[in-house]
Amino acid sequence: MLEERGTPTTVIALARNQAEKTRPPRALFVPFQLGRPLGTPEDAAFQRRVMLAALGLLERADGPVILDDYAEEDPNWQDTAGWQPPLPPASARPTAPADWWSAFAAELAALRPAWEAAQMRFGRSIVGLAGQPPERWPEFTTAFLAGGLPTVPQHATPALALRFLCDDIKAMYGEAAQAHGPAPSSRQVEAWFWRQTVAGALLVALRTAAMGSDNNALKTVGGRFFVPVPWLPAA
Amino acid sequence: MARPEEIPEPTRSAVLNIECPVFETTPFLAGKPLSQRKVAIVSSAALVQRGEAPFPFGSTEARFIPAGVPANALLMSHVSINFDRHGFARDANTAFPLERLRALAAEGMIGSVAETHYTVMGSSDPAGMAAAADQVSGQLKQENVDAVLLTPV
Repeated sequence: MLEERGTPTTVIALARNQAEKTRPPRALFVPFQLGRPLGTPEDAAFQRRVMLAALGLLERADGPVILDDYAEEDPNWQDTAGWQPPLPPASARPTAPADWWSAFAAELAALRPAWEAAQMRFGRSIVGLAGQPPERWPEFTTAFLAGGLPTVPQHATPALALRFLCDDIKAMYGEAAQAHGPAPSSRQVEAWFWRQTVAGALLVALRTAAMGSDNNALKTVGGRFFVPVPWLPAA
Repeated sequence: MARPEEIPEPTRSAVLNIECPVFETTPFLAGKPLSQRKVAIVSSAALVQRGEAPFPFGSTEARFIPAGVPANALLMSHVSINFDRHGFARDANTAFPLERLRALAAEGMIGSVAETHYTVMGSSDPAGMAAAADQVSGQLKQENVDAVLLTPV
């Protein structure tokens, strides 16, 4: 759409079939996981090679369409031996909202040092969509378990407020999981979060509560956007 | 590509079976050598600056990201929960390679880095994005940008 309007384009494509269908002027197919067009985090040399391969297509005259394959794999896709999660597996599996509140608050407090270390290490955080500090997360989330529909000024509906808070919770735990040592694979972080933390179990409980809600927005958003399908508990 | 067998269901089927727009024309513009081009990035990750409203679901807008924005200010408000964000959390360049682009300019591999970069909600139907494309294109021309690197997530 942009090239038609006058500017040459090149795309780093994670989904080969989609690029084959849309036929952009130039595309570099990369063998990386969804969400990582540049492949490996914090490997400037690796990312530079990907960039030059994609930008290099702009100098070729044998199009349209140029669809090129990038051979190098992302080493961080594979699990990392020796990676340790920042917390031991949670033993608490609460049922009452008040128990969720205390278990989640305690876990957040225990995770805080690793989260702060991660922010020091990487100089950044992607927590912030919810518009609420972590201190308020236990009260806000467990209110939904009790049938409440709280919201915050930053979001139009309770459903969106909770959805973006779920994103922040996942982001905070994901950052804390990377605070020390070698980078875990995405799969290692996800397995730890969904199977071994109070927060992961809480998001599953929030999904269940949302799907049983009379609030249609919450029902839809909760069913689709809190827990990825691969991590839903077996029926 | 991301190996289909390594993408968990139902995302795998969604990625493989998605309806894609068919474009009637395939433009292909020649240009200057890379070392003389000014380059902008377009990310599909629905990036927002901290404090800014997330992209609404189905949004067909494009938002501008000034080149001076610090990496710590960028959050990802994409609707999908089925792609990795931990890489982006660790290093923004994993999905939005602005620092890498700056390094290529410093090396002389590209001419320069555009003043403005762009982001859209990648799950939205491109058929509704003509106005956004016009808006982005207008800014690209105003800044004399000669190449766009698209980095869909």
